[in-house]
Amino acid sequence: MCDHSNQNIYLPHLATVAEVIDETPDVRTLKLVFQDQQVRDSFSFRAGQFAEYSAFGAGESTFCIASSPTRKGYIECCFRAVGRVTEELRRLEPGDSIGVRGPYGNSFPIEEFYGKNLVFVAGGIALPPLRTLIWNCLDLRDKFGDITIVYGARTEADLVYKRELQEWEKRSDVRLVKTVDPGGNGPEWDGQVGFVPTVLEQAAPSAENTVALVCGPPVMIKFTLPVLEKLGFSDDQVYTTLENRMKCGLGKCGRCNVGNVYVCKDGPVFTARQVKAMPLEY
Amino acid sequence: MQKQITQQNLNALLDTLIKEGKRVVAPRINAGTPLYEPLKSSAEMITDQLPKRSGKEAFFPLCEDIMSYEKEGQQITLTDIDPARFPETVLVGVRPCDAAAVPVLDAVFSWDYKDEFFLERRKKTTVIGLACTTADDACFCTAVGLSPSDSKGSDLFLTPLEGGGYNCETFSEKGETLINKYKELFAEPDNATTIPLARPQTETFDLKKVKAWLDSHFEDPAWDSVATRCVGCGACAFVCPACHCFDIVDEGTEKSGKRRKNWDACGFWKFTHHASGHNPRDQQPKRYRNRIMHKFKYYDDKFGQTLCTGCGRCIRLCPVGIDIAAIVEEISKKQE
Ligand SMILES: Cc1cc2nc3c(=O)[nH]c(=O)nc-3n(C[C@H](O)[C@H](O)[C@H](O)COP(=O)(O)OP(=O)(O)OC[C@H]3O[C@@H](n4cnc5c(N)ncnc54)[C@H](O)[C@@H]3O)c2cc1C
Ligand code: FES
Repeated sequence: MCDHSNQNIYLPHLATVAEVIDETPDVRTLKLVFQDQQVRDSFSFRAGQFAEYSAFGAGESTFCIASSPTRKGYIECCFRAVGRVTEELRRLEPGDSIGVRGPYGNSFPIEEFYGKNLVFVAGGIALPPLRTLIWNCLDLRDKFGDITIVYGARTEADLVYKRELQEWEKRSDVRLVKTVDPGGNGPEWDGQVGFVPTVLEQAAPSAENTVALVCGPPVMIKFTLPVLEKLGFSDDQVYTTLENRMKCGLGKCGRCNVGNVYVCKDGPVFTARQVKAMPLEY
Repeated sequence: MQKQITQQNLNALLDTLIKEGKRVVAPRINAGTPLYEPLKSSAEMITDQLPKRSGKEAFFPLCEDIMSYEKEGQQITLTDIDPARFPETVLVGVRPCDAAAVPVLDAVFSWDYKDEFFLERRKKTTVIGLACTTADDACFCTAVGLSPSDSKGSDLFLTPLEGGGYNCETFSEKGETLINKYKELFAEPDNATTIPLARPQTETFDLKKVKAWLDSHFEDPAWDSVATRCVGCGACAFVCPACHCFDIVDEGTEKSGKRRKNWDACGFWKFTHHASGHNPRDQQPKRYRNRIMHKFKYYDDKFGQTLCTGCGRCIRLCPVGIDIAAIVEEISKKQE
């Protein structure tokens, strides 16, 4: 590598795949350790930020950093294999090399949540962007009030981070409400059955001194926001992330905009109020 | 600084620069098509035709390597591109509409993260603009606040004189350095008259009004009526001096290859298509709307500039006859 490496904003850091975890048949977690000692020591990020991950020969894909910034020495990403790059990334095995550019974008304003209750609402593969924040908050547990997690997927098999769901379920300082869509439950299922918005309404977390963090497919978000409103949440109390297609992640390539908002720079984290002010282009 | 130069001396200047190993890029004919390309000799330069593609390629090539990778076993080696390899360049005979786009592009490539590929080339390039003496039906630089004699983006600006030669005016240190270095080729200005300049036949748009309308009309039936016929070929973006959207792709095998930055276009269906199948701009009018919005609203919101210099190339080339100047003029009339 020539010594201009720190100037080329498109040049990724190399990382080694330390561990591969299958979350579902097509969703995989990679635990990554930067190869360069200096990068390992200096790489820092905040919950909500994303990175560009390279499968060399196939290209780059955008995923959030799914591990918590409180867990040092490694990062994790969790992705569904849906196309060219993600299929290649899925082929990686422990010891293989991967490229990582980032961290990019804004983050959850976690300091503003100190002293408040938190309600996490996630659907399907969209748990990773909240999981980073969930662990971040659990690692600083004293700073927050009640923590409620409502998480649902189509079927039991589609739930990601199954072992962590068990861990959260066991904790007395977390209320986990897990659900699957009607018909998605097997004989052993001990959670709820129903769509996330409905289950959220039944769980009825109080809006008082609370922030809600919502990530999921567009249709889930669409039906969840009115429920939160009914529960008394104002649009400033609700945070979500947008996932417009990205390439550079740096505010250059012109791909990710919603109106004049560059999701890669101004986002991906927005309040419901900010999202509602945007044109429908996400 | 004001000087004069004869055609013969301009040619001598370019030939000297070429001999010194500089990259001299100017309009020339390549297989019948005028393009801004590196010259082998000053004799290749033409001054009477607007190149089919814009001058931005001197800084932002259609396709460029941004790194290469090599894989051996589980190990990968990345090789950076050394910006020292970008040659010192003189971009000459650049039309005002192309030269003016360069500082517009500076904004996006230098805000926040710095794109060294653009900025290093920019640093190493001297831009010699050339006033326009002819305009066609599609030219509309005057409508967007520029003119056939606008020196925006030029380090040195040439205006053709009756009887041959050019008036030269410098607009930056780079321009002055060039003149000082080759003083013997330049003369003091006399009172020679300049050739009458082109007069594009369009009215000046009120860009504030255009933006005001765009600010409040993201949803409007007009988008369907102007752009349903757009075929999404992307030609407008590829010939535009100010369009800068790009893709990042790998080309090679699993063993070795290059990563490239390639021009892209917001008119392409795939541009915003999510892997889930969802596409926020699922219809062509929505994609065309983004083009207009980006040029006349978003870029202005962000950088206080308009992303259009009125070169008219997209109008000349559009296979279905979409005329951006007519559309923008119409918009300005809609706004009170
Ligand atoms: C801020 C942000 C955070 C994100 N976080 C996550 C995350 O944490 N986890 C996650 O899973 N996703 C996340 N995403 C989404 C993720 O970026 C995309 O799912 C991923 O980039 C898809 O990449 P791909 O290259 O595999 O798909 P592509 O190959 O680009 O596939 C795109 C589409 O093209 C089709 N296609 C694929 N190959 C071909 C071909 N050869 N010819 C024609 N069509 C083809 C596919 O079927 C698909 O519909 C995030 C996105 C953003 C913007
Ligand atoms: S991803 Fe390139 S501008 Fe946002």
